[in-house]
Amino acid sequence: MNRLLLSIGVFAVIFIAAPLVIVVPMSFSNARSLQFPPPGYWLGYYQAYFTDMRWLRPTWNSIIIASGTTVLTMTLVVPATFALVRHRFAGKSFADLMLLMPLAVPHIVMAVGYYSFLGKLGIVQTHLGVIVAHTCLTVPIAFLVLSANLKGFDRTLERAAISLGASPWRTFIHITLPILKPGLIVSALFTFVQSFDETVVAIFISGRDAATLPRKMFDSIRQEADPVIAVVSTLLFLLVLAGIVAPPLWKALRTRMKAPALSSGDFQS
Amino acid sequence: MTSYLQLTGISKTYGTFAALSKVDLAVDKGEFITFLGPSGSGKTTTLMIIAGFEKASTGDVLIDGGSITAMAPHERNIGIVFQNYGLFPHKRAIENVYFPLQMRGAARAEGLRKAAAMLDLVGLKDLGSRYPKELSGGQQQRVALARALVFEPSLLLLDEPLGALDKNLREQMQIEIKRIQRALGVTTVFVTHDQSEAMSMSDRIVVFDKGRIEQAATPLDIYHRPQTKFVAGFVGESNLIEAVVTDAGSRLATSPALGEIEYAPSETAAPGKPVMLMIRPEHIRLSRRPIEGRRNAAMKIETIVNYGDNALVIGNSSGVPMRVRVLGADVVILKEGDDCHISWMPDAVFPITA
Amino acid sequence: MQASITRLTERPTLWPWLLLTPLALYLAIFFVVPLVDVVVMSFTEPKPTLSNYTHVLTGALYQRVFINTFATALLVTVVCLVVGYPLAYLMTRVSPRSAMLILTLVTMSFWTSFLVRTYAWMVLLGDSGPIIALVRALGVQDPPHLLFTRFSSTLAMVHILAPYMIMNIYSVMRKIDPVLIRSAQSLGAKSGSLFRHVYLPLTAPGIANGSVLVFVICLGFYVTPVLLGSPREQMIAGLIGHQIDEFLAFGLGSAMAVVLLLITLTILTIYHRRFGLDKLWG
Repeated sequence: MNRLLLSIGVFAVIFIAAPLVIVVPMSFSNARSLQFPPPGYWLGYYQAYFTDMRWLRPTWNSIIIASGTTVLTMTLVVPATFALVRHRFAGKSFADLMLLMPLAVPHIVMAVGYYSFLGKLGIVQTHLGVIVAHTCLTVPIAFLVLSANLKGFDRTLERAAISLGASPWRTFIHITLPILKPGLIVSALFTFVQSFDETVVAIFISGRDAATLPRKMFDSIRQEADPVIAVVSTLLFLLVLAGIVAPPLWKALRTRMKAPALSSGDFQS
Repeated sequence: MTSYLQLTGISKTYGTFAALSKVDLAVDKGEFITFLGPSGSGKTTTLMIIAGFEKASTGDVLIDGGSITAMAPHERNIGIVFQNYGLFPHKRAIENVYFPLQMRGAARAEGLRKAAAMLDLVGLKDLGSRYPKELSGGQQQRVALARALVFEPSLLLLDEPLGALDKNLREQMQIEIKRIQRALGVTTVFVTHDQSEAMSMSDRIVVFDKGRIEQAATPLDIYHRPQTKFVAGFVGESNLIEAVVTDAGSRLATSPALGEIEYAPSETAAPGKPVMLMIRPEHIRLSRRPIEGRRNAAMKIETIVNYGDNALVIGNSSGVPMRVRVLGADVVILKEGDDCHISWMPDAVFPITA
Repeated sequence: MQASITRLTERPTLWPWLLLTPLALYLAIFFVVPLVDVVVMSFTEPKPTLSNYTHVLTGALYQRVFINTFATALLVTVVCLVVGYPLAYLMTRVSPRSAMLILTLVTMSFWTSFLVRTYAWMVLLGDSGPIIALVRALGVQDPPHLLFTRFSSTLAMVHILAPYMIMNIYSVMRKIDPVLIRSAQSLGAKSGSLFRHVYLPLTAPGIANGSVLVFVICLGFYVTPVLLGSPREQMIAGLIGHQIDEFLAFGLGSAMAVVLLLITLTILTIYHRRFGLDKLWG
């Protein structure tokens, strides 16, 4: 029983890891087609990626769109989360449910809707159009992350600040916001990544001018299997790797550096 | 002389539930006053109304003769130490203490100097650069105290601040808080459900029950002259004997079970009035034979609870359950089931008329 | 903010509405209206009739696509469960360090764009890829094409969706008190019945969560089936895209989208009644 389990586990680990690992050597391959193991290695496709506007423009478009989406989503979600977590009012559970609805609707359905709707507004194939659509899709994730953080917030801290003479507004600025900062950052990061990765809606509405990186990748996989795709994949994979491995490392480093400061007395000096 | 802190006719209702009804209280400047009561008795609600976090349904709160009822909580200049301290996790200890000064527009250097001096006063001279999570419970408590005092508040409120500490640390902090409060002379309201804490720290104790003040008096008065049956039962251990006053002049009351009992001087006892006669267990003596010059009664010992240095003997005297405190050394000769005598002096019998 | 902070227990105020209104309006305009648009188009494009629905619900092509989609989603869910459950269990049994490593791997897979993962499977399963090479090395003369088949798209979808299943099951398994298992053992439960009567029921919420999530995402999956699947065995999402992109048949595409939406919402509503929707992505 246990041996069977172990072998299934090992198999599962390989199954999950293999596709992630294989894109890295592929990006250095000098083959024109999908050949593995590569017949030889070079950096040519990296050079191609960093000089080819057909790849750089979508990358840039994606960064603009994901940034815009993050700003818009957070602007809308932060106040709403405060309302939903901290207040009781009629229709609250309905509102809670509605904020999650965009997660429940398949993206292909939204893509059809946006294709026609954004067309009517005249913002199909623009950055604005994609931002408007992505904001709806990222609201639930941002809300879920933020509300979990806000629910864990100890409101005694706000009362303490007020009793110490801080007005409600200054309490928000000096206490609530700084303490919620990690939650806000995580929420914003999730939003950014979700928008950056979103493919289906982008395929249908970003068009030529606002084509996002996933759309470009989709097209190139579908049509020609451009080897540059391996480079993009590797870069994206490394970004994820950095994003997941860096925070614990950074934390470990910081605690190690802070340790001696603890014993060294006065804060003022 | 007018009092420093005054509560006049404070009531608080939630829907139809009255959390507080008609609370009146006057506190002198520099006084250390304790709100004592079981949970839900209204003591914390009263504290929150003074702090401004709850609005009273009726009534007024005055400090130094001026009403603060209409003031926002952050304008009240009242220092509060919360149950879980409420230290800001993203600020160092000294920044926590500096915060109220910062909010009052103090210059940074001057403010930090004052904060450091206050940390010194509470005994945390060298720990200012630590974050709250790097401090022990007792140290966090001291930072919270320093923070609530550094801006020279007109009032200090302590909301069960010792609840989270273990017993030894708690006793140490009781002494600390008292010392600091005396040194600064700040008027202090302390909320607790722990009677020994209330006894040891307070100038005066206010006992709350069911949204009312049962009694406000010095610790000794609360203990020896409780005004109500609730106070007698809540503070310390007591024997309560039902009786009716028969002769107010010679201070005699008659209990259906124990007969005529003489009681200590009382202003409220009147002939024909039903009373509760309270005798503290440590005021009763246990003996084999009746003792002359004392009021005696026979008792059969039912249970002996040993505490080491003393013991509580629980017995039955003509159908009335009685508790007697005896010294540890005397316990060895006692057995459960023994017949013996209990006796007391008339001064130990306090009549409760309310 | 004033009201919210200072009057914790006071009567309701206008604040929550003020804070909520911008988002509510935004979603009403940019989320609900486009959805309604889809519904409207399904009845009115190209002419106001019900013919789109009669096509979608009775046409042989569409029926085959629906059945194919359901079968694929079911298969992917089951395989995810078969792979994910033992792995999640393994994570609770190995050292914390190894568990951390596996978790990091799963998380990385989760966060890696599924286009990247789809592309990786193209390389792995391609005619000049390592798996075919291995098969050749084993002496098979004429190995079958793996790419652009039902097999390749199913495998890639399992890979892409497995992290949802693993993380859901693992988060439930991790919370199971080992004392519970030990006490069941001390009461004489053999490993088989221990699993059936104790462990399985305790992990059921994780299984339900993971399965619903994987199944629902799979039903509406567009990218991977389109890129890796057989053109002859489309799934609903692919066909919807096809109608819109190639034929500009908005009416038919919308009608299919509405049917897909209704199926998805039905499943999620049943789930919501029993467990609460907010738990699903918890």
